[in-house]
Amino acid sequence: MFRAKRRTVVSLAAVAVALLAGALVITFTQGTGQAANPNLVVYQVGHRPKAPDFTATSLTGTPISFSSYRGKVTVVNFWGSWCDPCRREAPTLAVVAEQYKSRGVSFLGVDVSDSTASAQAFIRKEGISYPSVFDSGYVVTGDFGRVVLVSATPTTIVVDRTGHIAGLIYGSTTYSELTGLLSDAGVTT
Amino acid sequence: MTDVHAPQSQSPSAETDGTDPFGINETEPAGTGGGVTAGPPASGVGWLRWLWRQLTSMRTALVLLFLLALGSVPGSVLPQQGSDPAAVQQYFTAHPALAPWLNHFGLFNVFAAPWFAAIYLLLFTSLVGCVVPRTFRLAGSARTPPPRAPRNLERLPHSGSYPSTLPPEAAVAVAASVLGGHRFRLRRPADSDSGHWVSAEKGYLREVGNLLFHLALLGVLVSIALGGLFGFKADKLLVEGTGFRDTRAAFDEFHPGRLVSGADLAPFSITLNSFSASYLESGQSRGQPAAFHARITYTATPGDAPHSFDLQVNHPLDVDSTKVYLIGHGYAPVFKVTTATGQVVYDQATPFIPANTGTFMSDGVVKVPDAAPAQLGFMGVFVPTAVRVGDTLESAFPAPDNPAVSLIGYAGDLGMNSGVPQSVYQLDTTAMRQLTAAPHALLPGQTWTLPGGNGKITFVGYKQWVSLAITYDPGQLPALICGMLALGGLLLSFLIRRRRVFVRAVPADSGLGSVVTIGGLARTDASGGFEDEFASLSAELAAADAAAVAPAQEPEPTNQSETGA
Repeated sequence: MFRAKRRTVVSLAAVAVALLAGALVITFTQGTGQAANPNLVVYQVGHRPKAPDFTATSLTGTPISFSSYRGKVTVVNFWGSWCDPCRREAPTLAVVAEQYKSRGVSFLGVDVSDSTASAQAFIRKEGISYPSVFDSGYVVTGDFGRVVLVSATPTTIVVDRTGHIAGLIYGSTTYSELTGLLSDAGVTT
Repeated sequence: MTDVHAPQSQSPSAETDGTDPFGINETEPAGTGGGVTAGPPASGVGWLRWLWRQLTSMRTALVLLFLLALGSVPGSVLPQQGSDPAAVQQYFTAHPALAPWLNHFGLFNVFAAPWFAAIYLLLFTSLVGCVVPRTFRLAGSARTPPPRAPRNLERLPHSGSYPSTLPPEAAVAVAASVLGGHRFRLRRPADSDSGHWVSAEKGYLREVGNLLFHLALLGVLVSIALGGLFGFKADKLLVEGTGFRDTRAAFDEFHPGRLVSGADLAPFSITLNSFSASYLESGQSRGQPAAFHARITYTATPGDAPHSFDLQVNHPLDVDSTKVYLIGHGYAPVFKVTTATGQVVYDQATPFIPANTGTFMSDGVVKVPDAAPAQLGFMGVFVPTAVRVGDTLESAFPAPDNPAVSLIGYAGDLGMNSGVPQSVYQLDTTAMRQLTAAPHALLPGQTWTLPGGNGKITFVGYKQWVSLAITYDPGQLPALICGMLALGGLLLSFLIRRRRVFVRAVPADSGLGSVVTIGGLARTDASGGFEDEFASLSAELAAADAAAVAPAQEPEPTNQSETGA
C-alpha cells in the first residue's frame, strides 16, 4: 500500500514537473519577438508586401485608381468620422501632408463605414485637402486586409514608389512615427 | 492509456503446462501498464524511459484529462479577455488586489494560457505515446495464432466433455471445422507429439474497437486544435442598405485562432437589402416574434455574380465553409442634422439597442462632432409603436406600426478628442449642457429646430439592423466524425469479448473412440453471455461429432491447421 501511494505521489510530481517545464518553454518561446513599439510595423526593402491595386469612388464621387499613385510615396490612412482616435490624429496628418507635398508624397484617405454627410463635415472641419475613398462596404479595406493586418481605424499605411508597403502605424499617428516611416520609404528630408 | 481492465487478474488455473491461454495478449509491454512499474531508476536514459512510461500511462492521462477539465473552470467562472474584455476591466476595478494575481496566472485568458496549452499538449503526447505502441501490438496480435491448448481443460472457467466414437484425430478435426464455421481463428498442433487438440480464438474486433476509440480521441483533439488555430468568430451589426467585406476591420468583435491571418478570411461580401420580422398579433404570447427574414445579397469572391439569400434564425448562410448566422435585430432611426448655416453635418441611420425585447423600445445615442457652433449630442429612445401615456411615450408592440423618437439634446464638447476611445452607444455629457429641459418627441419627417442657433435635427425615418455571427471552424466536421468513431469504437470494445475455446481429444479407456474435452475462457466477460455461447457451442460440437460418425470412419478434410477466420 505504501509503495502504491509513493508511486502515485511520484507520478503526480512527475506530471507537475513536466507541466511546469512545458509552461516555461511556451512562455519563453512566446516572450521573444515582441516589437519595441507594437503600434508600428516596418518592412525592410525586399520584404515589403505588395499593396493591392484598386479602383474606387471618392467621397466627392470622382473615380480613384490606386495604380495612378505608382511612382510616388503614398500615405494611405483608414479613418471614419465616428472614430475618436482618427479625429485626434487628423491635425498631424494635415500638417505632414502639407509639409511633404513638395517632396512628392501623396496622401489618400480611406473613409470606412461612414456616411458622406458626416465624412465631409469631418473633412471640412479638420481642413483635410487630400482625397478620400468612400469605403462604406469595407471593399478597399478588405483588399488591404488580405495583405497586411488592418484591424481597426485608424490605420496608416506607407506605400513606397514601387507600390510596396514600407510600414504601418496602428492607432493615432504621431508626427515622428509618420515622418520616420516616410524616410524608411525613401523620402529624403 | 492502456486498457481500462488492468491485466493483474489473470486466470491462475490456466498456467498448467506453461501455456498461458491469454499469455500473448495479456502481457503488456512494460511501462504501459498503468503505473505498475517500479520507481525511477538511477541512470539518465532509464530515468527518461521511466518518465515516458509515466506520461503514457492510463493514470497520467486521466489526471491530465481531469486537470484539463479543472483548468477550464476559471474560463467559465471568470470573465475572459477573448470573449468579454469589458467584463475583465470591470473585474480589475472591482478586485484591484486579486485581479493582477489572477492575471499573472493567465486566468483571464485561460484557453490561451501557457499552462493550459501545457496540459493539452501533455495529454496529447500521453495519448500518442499510448496509441502508437498499441497499434503495433494489435497488428502483432492479429497475426499471432491462438496459444497451444492447455493440458487440463477442466481447470478453465468453462469446460465440458463428451464421448466420441471417432478416433481422437478425427474428433478434433470435426470440432475444428465446427469452430472454423463460427469464424474462430484456429491453431492445430504442428506434430502429434503433444496430442490431438485445436485452439480457437475470436473477438479480435474488441482490440480494433479499443484502438479506434483511442485514435478517434486523438482525432477529436486534433480537430479542436485545428479549429482553435485556424478558425475564427466574429460579430457584425449591419444596417439595411449597407454591406461589408469579410475582413477584420469590418467586424465589431473578432476572435481569431492563433494562426489566422487576414489572407485566410474568405473574401466574400454581404449586403443587407431588407429585414422583416413578424410578431404574433394576439393571444397570450402577443408580441413574441414569429419569423425573421434578412434578405441579403452576397458575393463569394470579388467580381463574382451576386447571389440572393434569405437569412433566417436557424438557416445560416454558408460561404466557403464560413457560416453566417442571424443572431439579433433592432431599429436604426435615420437622422439628419443641419447647421444654422444650412450645412448637413449628419445624415445616417443610427443603430439603437433594444432595451425591452417585448416592445422593442430602443435606446441610442447620436453624436454630431462636426456640428457648429458647438458639437451636438442626443440621447434618444426609439418607440416602434408609439402610444402617449401621460407625458411619456410607450411602445405598444415590437413592430414599427407607429414609429416615433424622443430626444434629449446636448450641446458642447463630446469629449471625442480626449484620446480615450468612446463607445458609440454612450454619450459623455460632462462638458455639455442640456438644450431643453424636456425630451422632444418626433414623428417621421418632423424636424426639431434646436435652441441657441444650434441648427436643426430631422427624424427622417427608420431602418432595421441585424447582428450577424460569422464563424469559421475547420475542426467542426472532423470533430463530429471522430466523436462518432470514438463512440463506435467504445461500443465495439464493450460489446465484443475476446474468447478462446480449446478442444482436446484422447483415446477412450475402452480403446474404441475417444473422449473429447472442451475448455473455454473469456477475457473481460463483463457483460456475461459467454457461458451461454460456450454451452451452445459444446452442444453443437457434440452433435457434429455424433453426426460425423455415420458417413465414414476416415477423417474428413478440415480447415488447414494454423490458419483461421
